[in-house]
Amino acid sequence: MPSASEHARTSRNGLAVALKVLGLLVLAGAILSFPSMAANPFILSVGVVIMSYAVLATGWNFMGGLTGYMSLGHAAYSGLGGYATGLLIIETGWDPWVALVGGSLFVAVLAVPIGIASLRVRGASFVIVSIALVLILLLVFQSWSELTGGSNGLRIPRPFGPEVLRPEQHERFYYLHAALLAGALLLWWLIDRSQFGIGLKAIREDEDKAQALGVPTFNYKLVAFVISAFITALGGGLYALWFGFLDPVFQFSILAGAYMVLMSLLGGIRSLFGPLLGAVIVGYAVEFFKAEYGDSQFHIVAMGLLLGIVVLFMPEGIIPAVSQQIRRFRPQASSIREVSQAELAEERRKDEEQPGTARRVTEGAPS
Amino acid sequence: MSLLLQSIVLGVLLGGLYALLAAGLTLYFGVMRVVMIAHSAFLILAAYLAWWFSTETGIDPLVSLIGTVPLFFVMGVAVQRLLISRLNPSSLTMMSVLLTFSIALVIEGMLGFVWSGTQRRVRLSYGGGDFEIFGANIAVVKLIAFGLAAVSLLALFLLLTRTKFGQALRATIQHPEAARLVGINTDRIAGYGFGIGLATAAIGGTALSLDATIYPSLHWHWIGPLMAIIVVGGLGSIPGAAIAAMLLGLGQSLLQIPLGTTWAQTFFYIALFLTLMVRPQGFFGGRLAQRF
Repeated sequence: MPSASEHARTSRNGLAVALKVLGLLVLAGAILSFPSMAANPFILSVGVVIMSYAVLATGWNFMGGLTGYMSLGHAAYSGLGGYATGLLIIETGWDPWVALVGGSLFVAVLAVPIGIASLRVRGASFVIVSIALVLILLLVFQSWSELTGGSNGLRIPRPFGPEVLRPEQHERFYYLHAALLAGALLLWWLIDRSQFGIGLKAIREDEDKAQALGVPTFNYKLVAFVISAFITALGGGLYALWFGFLDPVFQFSILAGAYMVLMSLLGGIRSLFGPLLGAVIVGYAVEFFKAEYGDSQFHIVAMGLLLGIVVLFMPEGIIPAVSQQIRRFRPQASSIREVSQAELAEERRKDEEQPGTARRVTEGAPS
Repeated sequence: MSLLLQSIVLGVLLGGLYALLAAGLTLYFGVMRVVMIAHSAFLILAAYLAWWFSTETGIDPLVSLIGTVPLFFVMGVAVQRLLISRLNPSSLTMMSVLLTFSIALVIEGMLGFVWSGTQRRVRLSYGGGDFEIFGANIAVVKLIAFGLAAVSLLALFLLLTRTKFGQALRATIQHPEAARLVGINTDRIAGYGFGIGLATAAIGGTALSLDATIYPSLHWHWIGPLMAIIVVGGLGSIPGAAIAAMLLGLGQSLLQIPLGTTWAQTFFYIALFLTLMVRPQGFFGGRLAQRF
């Protein structure tokens, strides 16, 4: 029999859902109305860059956020996506949009052996491999100049005819990126709520225990890895179509991979919109520093400091930190919370210091 | 024949420098389980300091070691005590990678900010000098670099095996909890271990400045091979790193004949991936790596 408190909880849940839907509508409205509010084509192009960052960071978060395997080398997939798309258009004369999807699928297939090799190791070794992958691709794409144009770069034909002017191009690509972002977010949300997503998060919290509990950890990681590579490649390919020019130094740059990590960490890798929030902040900051300090390397210093501050002081990111503050003022919910290993260890340590309160109740209905 | 001999000699000289630099990385990993991405950035920083010292004063860049070695030691202790020890132990490995990555970015950016992105090179009176042994040409600067590396590695070896501090450091690497139980202040030891690691970067960077054109983003070209060396050698094992450094240095040098310099560099990454496929804990030593 439903008790009074449960009724109260359902209505509270209803309110929460309504608030969430409202928030989502506001967010979608803000994203969709940006082009009409942008003062000039330059601002609009910054908007495209930020959207592109958001797609890449969200793509990264399929791996980094769900499984905790933080790749510093995801630029490998965005770069490969860009080159695959461009080369398919140039070499085979495919339609740009077919080339985009085909190129990204090719990258996804390529990610299978890479994933099999690199997912055998965890933690630091995985990060090293991810860095090595970018460096090796940089070498290959610079050296293989008959195909890739080497250091001279690769010019990619524009998908829209010459009658579409640059500001219009920006606007179209802005919406294309936004659509891709929406698709990626939806997929992340679906996975996050699925059995598969629960398995991935079990891997993130304690891989050995997850395996002991019967989660097919390797297959799960591999699938997440390939999805992540695919989305990132789509992002890279779409960016290549917009920008129209690829240079190995910028495509296969560790800095680009680090931006994805920074954006996701800053916003919060456990939350759906974390990478998007991070992309808006970091993307804006990058463009600001580049515009303000020009060619000097100061924007690299700023990014380095920002990453250091995030890692040292808010490794959980902005969204979790803020929602934790909000939760403190709400009536205590009694559902199963997501607790990270670090939080558990912290609580355990506290319990040990106060032996009287050793028994800790995390979940279960109020008695 | 002489081409082959030449490559072998160059490979050995190169391997010696790699061994010194990888020893630093291995030390960090041993004492703190930290993969220090910024190691090669400090290397380039030392090279820049040597260049700057040499162009400002006209004195041989090697003299700058008197200043940079203690400076880097202090910086290493500071980095460990002020930054890395603050990280949450449960996510130390991953977060330390990101933290040291951010340090690398700051160093790269500052180098570009202060000395611009222009390529720099130290001018030396003996810069072009070389001599011949059995038909193999050896540049003097390469031999000096190798000598520096050999002397520092020997000093490091003696420090680790013959001194009380070295014993404490090795104990901390092998089993931190047990080391603490027998009264070793592992926090302090870890700080000093970091300092020594960075001091090797000062020596390596100065050796590098004799022979290489330097620019701020050069450290990315070094970090890959060095990472490959410590993974092949087994994370945390200094002898493993030294053996792997020699083998990979030689391999790179030999492959340069048929493949050219750029493709020869991929050898490191191929070795890295093969190691992970066959023996993820590394080929030499490498007991520690099993934990990751």
